[in-house]
Amino acid sequence: MSTAALHTDHHHGHDHHEHKESFISKYVFSMDHKMISKQFLITGIVMGIIGLVMSLLFRMQLAWPDEKFGIMEMLLGKWAQDGKLDPNFYMGLVTIHGTIMVFYVLTAGLSGTFSNLLIPLQVGARDMASPFMNMLSYWFFFLSSAVLLISVGVETGPASAGWTVYPPLSALEKAMPGSGLGMTLWLVAIVLFIVSALLGGINYISTVLNMRTKGMSMNRMPLTIWAFFFTAVLGLLSFPVLLGAGLFLIFDRSFGTSFYLSDIYLEGVGAMENIGGSPVLYQHLFWFLGHPEVYIILMPALGITSEVISTNARKPIFGYTAMVISLMGISFLSFIVWGHHMFITGMNPFLGSVFMILTLIIAVPSAVKVFNYLTTLWKGNLRFTPAMLFSIGLVSFFISGGLTGIYLGNAALDIQLHDSYFVVAHFHLVMGSSAIFGMFAGIYHWFPRMYGRMLNNTLGQFHFWITFITAYLVFFPMHFMGLAGVPRRYYMFTLVKEFDVWMDVNKMMTIAAIVGGAAQLLFLWNFFYSIFRGKKSEQNPWQSNTLEWSAPVEHLHGNWPGAIPEVYRGPYEYSRPDREDDYFPQYVPDESDNAGTGGDGHGSAPKRKSTKKEEVAENVMFAAIKRVFGWS
Amino acid sequence: MKNHHLSVIAAFTNKKLFSAMLLLSLPFFTFAQSASDVVQPPQEFSLANWDWEFISYCIVAVLIILIIARAFDIGALTEKITGKKVVNWNSTNRWVAIIFLVASIAGIWYEMIYHGKYVLIGDSYSEHGETIDSMFNWTFGFTFVVFVITEVLLFYFMFKYRYREGQKALYYFHNNKLELVWTVVPAVVLTFLVLRGFNTWSKITAEKPKDAQEIEIFGYQFGWKARYAGDDNTFGNSHFTFISGKNPLGLAVPEHVDSLLADLKRDTALLNRQIASASDSATAWKTAFVSFNTGSNATAYPAVYKDLKNKMEDAESGAYVRQLKKDLRRKNTTISRITTYRKDQKVFNSAANDDKITTEVVLVKGKSYTFNFRARDVIHSAWFPDFRGQMNVVPGMATWFSFTPNKTTEQARTEKNNKDFDFYLYCNKICGGAHYNMKIKITVVGSEAEYNTWMATQAPFVAPPAAVPTPSNTQDSSTLVKPNTVTIR
Repeated sequence: MSTAALHTDHHHGHDHHEHKESFISKYVFSMDHKMISKQFLITGIVMGIIGLVMSLLFRMQLAWPDEKFGIMEMLLGKWAQDGKLDPNFYMGLVTIHGTIMVFYVLTAGLSGTFSNLLIPLQVGARDMASPFMNMLSYWFFFLSSAVLLISVGVETGPASAGWTVYPPLSALEKAMPGSGLGMTLWLVAIVLFIVSALLGGINYISTVLNMRTKGMSMNRMPLTIWAFFFTAVLGLLSFPVLLGAGLFLIFDRSFGTSFYLSDIYLEGVGAMENIGGSPVLYQHLFWFLGHPEVYIILMPALGITSEVISTNARKPIFGYTAMVISLMGISFLSFIVWGHHMFITGMNPFLGSVFMILTLIIAVPSAVKVFNYLTTLWKGNLRFTPAMLFSIGLVSFFISGGLTGIYLGNAALDIQLHDSYFVVAHFHLVMGSSAIFGMFAGIYHWFPRMYGRMLNNTLGQFHFWITFITAYLVFFPMHFMGLAGVPRRYYMFTLVKEFDVWMDVNKMMTIAAIVGGAAQLLFLWNFFYSIFRGKKSEQNPWQSNTLEWSAPVEHLHGNWPGAIPEVYRGPYEYSRPDREDDYFPQYVPDESDNAGTGGDGHGSAPKRKSTKKEEVAENVMFAAIKRVFGWS
Repeated sequence: MKNHHLSVIAAFTNKKLFSAMLLLSLPFFTFAQSASDVVQPPQEFSLANWDWEFISYCIVAVLIILIIARAFDIGALTEKITGKKVVNWNSTNRWVAIIFLVASIAGIWYEMIYHGKYVLIGDSYSEHGETIDSMFNWTFGFTFVVFVITEVLLFYFMFKYRYREGQKALYYFHNNKLELVWTVVPAVVLTFLVLRGFNTWSKITAEKPKDAQEIEIFGYQFGWKARYAGDDNTFGNSHFTFISGKNPLGLAVPEHVDSLLADLKRDTALLNRQIASASDSATAWKTAFVSFNTGSNATAYPAVYKDLKNKMEDAESGAYVRQLKKDLRRKNTTISRITTYRKDQKVFNSAANDDKITTEVVLVKGKSYTFNFRARDVIHSAWFPDFRGQMNVVPGMATWFSFTPNKTTEQARTEKNNKDFDFYLYCNKICGGAHYNMKIKITVVGSEAEYNTWMATQAPFVAPPAAVPTPSNTQDSSTLVKPNTVTIR
């Protein structure tokens, strides 16, 4: 079967669907975007469980440093003799937890799942631009996950230089046990991961730009698609830099080059030969990816939240244009602020000033997004589905975590707060919890679209509230610890008398983490049970406007049995005063709706008249976006 | 077309579950293997060693969850039969949201009281620290207001606008004036914060104070050392190739460097001999391994077995010789570097002789200090939390930080009402397994006299020869690391 035929000819595609596929081509090396999205999701969930268990292990160590845990020895063998965690392996756990959560769960698991599921379904395409590359993207990711997990089990231990793997610690095999084979495998895993991200990213961009259905102009795309689009652009431009950084590091490790190494004397080895390299160079290269990576993680979650909040508030998303512009602003700015991770590396202080100014500018589009979410909720008709709750949770975390960014982006304050628990609190709220809540919102919202069945609502409600409360209990007190001068990545705090006052808090956080971790069992049970036994879903269970709900519940290769539906208006026409229903799907034609013939269709209900000025401004803006990205 | 749900089951059971299990189990297979390489005789693998207590907790937890899940199924069934909602989540959640909001405020309040003086930024003990704290308080003021307003609104909206049958939401697409307001207002506030931050940051980091006393802070895995310039007030030169057991900071002191050079030459001679006789060693190890590997030796002494096996395999594969040659090349490079510098009288100018290397930092209240940082092996970060100072310590790169302590340790003890309190410099950049225990005590004394008393107890690096004073050559410049003239790069 020619997939190209499907894409080029929207109206004759459906007679191709009947052909039988083998088990392998349908479930394993599938080229269907819906199957690939499920593959990403389940691998992401498995990785997420592993990352979560790791975090519980090191939280137990932090709370009860003198206690012996049989479970540790059972799980970790020689790394936890007599049930006491080894300091080197503690670092390994921290490193792998960070790597898994940042790359494997929140990049691939979130963006991979929902970009794959939603881009073709929401823009009205039969599949991705290149289904084959899409399949490769998943399998590179799978391979990368396998290599990373294997690296945890090597004899000298996993990579343990922190998820940022700064050289020289990561470059010198003798600097710590984890810098041996574990580090090599980590680098291999990341290289594979980057290949996966690039293959996926190219696909997402070309699908969004080229394969929208009739009537789906750029300014009628759901905000999810905008978010995935900008995410893919960010990934495509920044991941290659990490690839370069990783290759240089591999060269330094294995082939005796000195990109990052200079003037080193290592205990047990002696003076090294390397001269002239700079460890700070690696940090520049790493954070050139590392900072956009934060938004690669966050933006899909924000996109999902926009969609879920609007649907469940039964209200148009407030300021669609502002939402798109703020996404664009965040994307652009994210490329020129990486230096705020490096204020105190000895970088020229003037450079620090520049990065500080640029960093604090990002707070403006972020603030716009928060206010727009709040206004969308205002005078809405809020249905508290689990997806909606998780989205509201995201907004709450985004506020709490985002505001502390204003402290850390300020170079003067960063002198004190850098690498303290304040930073841990900041990014776990704004990037970790926010994004994982966006992912949960997406899963609860689109589970019916993925599996044709509903998740149990009650379990979802419990899952949300327990996770939400425990996440705050774990991460919020970390602000206070950081301000009191507790450094991160410490194996235990008992060697410093000043930190004793925090032992109670540490214990409380660990208990909260264990409870929160156990609450994920509710989700897992709900998820896997509902795949098989959940209530059957209606076609459009949330009365949503977007195109994916026009496709039948059963998965078809090619998504729609007949012609691809046409789009007549923007995606957020909820509670229009001139309609009886409180929603008005994009794909439902209406003679009286003049938006079908032109304009963006946002707020195009007859009652509402936008001023001439607004129209001109919007037209100019979208013309500019089109010009920048070069399509007509 | 297959039945959709069946196909999902097939997909899951056959591929996902299998791959998930495989992924989950891989690391533990390898653990099981590596656990036998432990130096101590490994424990017998038996179920009795497992943490059954913990496992039983887990089982009970899972059971409880399953029971809850079934209970909800019954609830759903009741709903279906009676046609009435057992729980209306839309109205339940509005109350949960309000309870959460109130409980959070109470929680934060409690934390503020419970940890009192520790919460929020503590008192700073340096002059510039006060400007940082004031910067912090301004930022806290702004963000706290925004935080309270937005979070309260969020949960209040959850309370107020819950779903009601037949109610319609407001059709409200956008309002440019409103959006303009909340773009411009944060922009103005941030401009204020940026300008203030810019000012504070530049004052602290742009230039070294001219009249400051310099102290070198040397970071290594895993500890800190401080170096004072000594009586001549000039730091001796240092280089990473000069580092040896007796000369931990690598100072340019002829006797230590010469003895290091002799050691290195002896090492290279040994390496050369080992390379020449590599094939003999390979045979010897093979014989040793074969004679050891009889009976139950392999299982009874796994560490010895593994060591011998590794040696034999390395020798056979050539890895052994490669490693020796690598070491030889590295040592030869070091020898040639040291030899070059050794000839340079500007490097070995005897300024290092009276330098004092200390394991504690003593400062005088009110005096300005510049700390020049040097790293031996990997990146460390020198963090003086009480003095609001931090700077990375980077191998191959000179960094510095300046501050003026404005209270003594005694004053801090009185203020904190803790007679054991001490200032510390912590490592704040992941640097290896013992990172958590890398610190050095800082003592701030009230007067120069106290400082001098302490300084007199510290020995100079090279004991001065009786009577003959060393000619001071303070105006030297050299190509090597000069801790007292660090430039910002």
